[in-house]
Amino acid sequence: MPRQSNPAVDAREAAPKTGKIRRLHLPQKLRNLELFLLTIACGVNLGAVVLVQLGALGLIDTTLVLLGASLSGLVFALHFVLRIVAREADPFLLPIATLLNGIGIAMIYRIDIANNESGWASAAVRQTVWSGLAIACAIAVILIIRNHRVLFRYTYVAGFVGVALLLLPLVPGLGREVSGARVWIGFGDFATFQPGEIAKIALAVFFAGYLVRNRDSLSMVGRKFLGMRFPRLRDLGPILVVWALSMSVIIFQRDLGTALLYFGLFLVMLYLATARLSWVLMGMSLFLGGALIASQTLDYVNGRFTNWLDALNPAVYEADGGSYQLVQGLFGLAKGGLIGTGLGQGRPELTPVPQSDYIIASLGEELGLAGLFAILALYLLFVARGFRIGFAGQDDFGKLLGVGLSFVVALQCFIVIGGVTRVIPLTGLTTPFLAAGGSSLVANWIIVGLLLRLSDTVRNQPRLVV
Amino acid sequence: MNPSELTLLVLRLAFLLMLWLFIFGIVYALRSDLFGHRVRKLATDAPPAAGVPFASPPPAPVAAAAPFAQPPSASASAPTEQFSQQKAPAVPSGPEKATTRTATRLVITSGPKAGTEFPLGSEPVTIGRSSDSSLVIRDDYTSTHHARLMLWHDDWMLQDLDSTNGTFLNGKRVAVPTSVPLNTTVKIGATSFELRR
Repeated sequence: MPRQSNPAVDAREAAPKTGKIRRLHLPQKLRNLELFLLTIACGVNLGAVVLVQLGALGLIDTTLVLLGASLSGLVFALHFVLRIVAREADPFLLPIATLLNGIGIAMIYRIDIANNESGWASAAVRQTVWSGLAIACAIAVILIIRNHRVLFRYTYVAGFVGVALLLLPLVPGLGREVSGARVWIGFGDFATFQPGEIAKIALAVFFAGYLVRNRDSLSMVGRKFLGMRFPRLRDLGPILVVWALSMSVIIFQRDLGTALLYFGLFLVMLYLATARLSWVLMGMSLFLGGALIASQTLDYVNGRFTNWLDALNPAVYEADGGSYQLVQGLFGLAKGGLIGTGLGQGRPELTPVPQSDYIIASLGEELGLAGLFAILALYLLFVARGFRIGFAGQDDFGKLLGVGLSFVVALQCFIVIGGVTRVIPLTGLTTPFLAAGGSSLVANWIIVGLLLRLSDTVRNQPRLVV
Repeated sequence: MNPSELTLLVLRLAFLLMLWLFIFGIVYALRSDLFGHRVRKLATDAPPAAGVPFASPPPAPVAAAAPFAQPPSASASAPTEQFSQQKAPAVPSGPEKATTRTATRLVITSGPKAGTEFPLGSEPVTIGRSSDSSLVIRDDYTSTHHARLMLWHDDWMLQDLDSTNGTFLNGKRVAVPTSVPLNTTVKIGATSFELRR
C-alpha cells in the first residue's frame, strides 16, 4: 500500500539522466471526503440563517449571510492547511464542528431578531467574530504543534497553567462575577473571558502526562476486596488533590458544573490509565458525598437541588432565583414537539438567556425532537471520532489525551443538556460549539485542532500490508 | 416578499431532512468502523513475493515498473524490503528473549508475503485487518484488531486482542501477554512471522 504522506520518489525519473526527485501525487481521499462534507455543512448553515430570516422577518437580508460566508472561508482555509500539514487527519471532526457552530450562530441570530439587536450589540455578530478567532486558533495549533508528543514534555507546565487559569477569576480586580458564579475575568468593561474553558485543555494534557508517568503505582498494588482491587492509602493522594480542587471550585467560584467537569475528566482518565473500577466508584462516592454536603450547607447549591427536584411547584417557580428559567425551557421544548415550530417561528426569547445556557431549549423549540436528536447525533459522532483516535493511537500519552479531550466535550454536553432537560440539577456551562460565548468557542476549536493533529500523527500508517 | 405558511413548512422539513442526511452521510462513510474491513480474496497460489515489492491492489507505478528500485527509504518507518537470505537465521541454543536491543526486524516467514520484513523500532506494532494497524493482514482468519506486539521494559510481548481465530506462538495459543523469544514463529491466520536480529 503506498503511503500517502510520504513523498515517494519516482525511480524511473531518478535513475539515469536527470536525478530529479518528483513527488508522487496521490489522491487525498480523506481530505476530499472532508471537503465534500464541509461543503454540505456550510450549505446547511447558510440554509439555517436564511430560514431564520424567512421565518422571523419574512425577507432575506444579506449582511449576516456575508459574515457567515467569510466564516465559511476560514473553515475552508483550515481545510487547506490540513491538506498540506496533516493529510491523514480525521475527515469528520471539522465538518461536524462547523455545522454545530453554524447552527449555534443561526439560533443566536434568531434571538437577536426577537430582542431587536443589531450591529455590535448583536450576540450573533460577536459570536461570528469569536468563531473566526477560534478557527484561527485551531489553525495555529495545527501549524505549531507538529507532533502531539511534544506536549508530553510540558506535562507539569500544563498542570500549572491549568490550575493558574482556574484560580485567575479569584484574583481581586480581575475576576468578574456573572449571575453568582465567579468564573470570569475581564479587563475594564469589555472582553470578559472564562479561563476555566481553556483550563480544561491544559488539565487534560496534564492528567494524560501525569498518568502515563505514574500509573503503575496506581494500578498494580493494593488489596482485593469485594472482587475489586483497591489502592493503597498512600496512593490516594492524586485523587484527593483533584477532589479538593473541584470542591474549592464549588465553594469559592460557586460553580457546580465546572467542578463536575474537571473531576469527571480526571476520573475517566484515571480509569483509562489503570483499568480499575474501584477508582471510579471511590471517585463518584467522593464527589457525590461532597455535592450532598454542599447542597446542605451552600445556599446556591441547595437552590439548584430544590429547582431540580421540585421544579413544577408554583412556589419554587415564582421564587426569586427559582425554577422559572428551567420550567420555561421545558415549556419551550414541549411547544416544539416532534418537528418544532420552525426556525424563526417559535418564542425562544421567553426563556432567560436563551442564547447561551438555554440554547438547547431554544433549538428544541424551533427544530423539535427531530432537530435536537440530530444535534445530539452530531455530538455523538464527534465524541466517537475522538475515542476512535484514542483507540487507534500507538502511544499511551496520545491515547489518554485523545480520549480525555473528547470525553470532556461529551461530559460538558451531558452536564448542560442534562441540566436543561431536568435529568440532573442545572449548572451553568456552555454547550460546546453552540452556545454564545467566546471562551468556550476558542477552547472547543482548540480541542478540534488538537484532535486533528492527534489523528494525523496517531493514524498509524501500515508498515506492511499482507 | 412574505413566504406563505406552506413554503415555510416545506423549507422547515427540508432543513431537518438535510441535517439528517448529513448525519447519515457521515455514518455511511464510517461504515468500515462499524462493520470491519472487507475481506480481500487472497490469490491461493500467488508466487512468494520475494522479488516483487508490494504487489498492492492498486499497483503503484514505481513498484510495477522497477522491481528493484525501491524508493530509497523515504522515511525511517517506510517499508523496506531486503532478502532474508542475506542473514541465515541463527538458531539459538536456548530461547533468547526478543528485546529492543536483540530484535531489529520482523520477518514474514510464511503466507503470501513470505520473505518481506520491516524494521522494529521502539513503538508497539498492532496487527489486524483494520487499516490502522501497523501490520495489516487481510485474510479470512484475521480479526479487525487481532493482536499486538508491545514493549514491557524493553521486552517484546505478544498480546492477543481477543481475536476470533487466535494468535499462536510456537504452536501454542496465546492467552495472556507472553514474551516473544527470537526466531520463534508467531502465526496469525495464514501468515507467520518471526522477530529476528
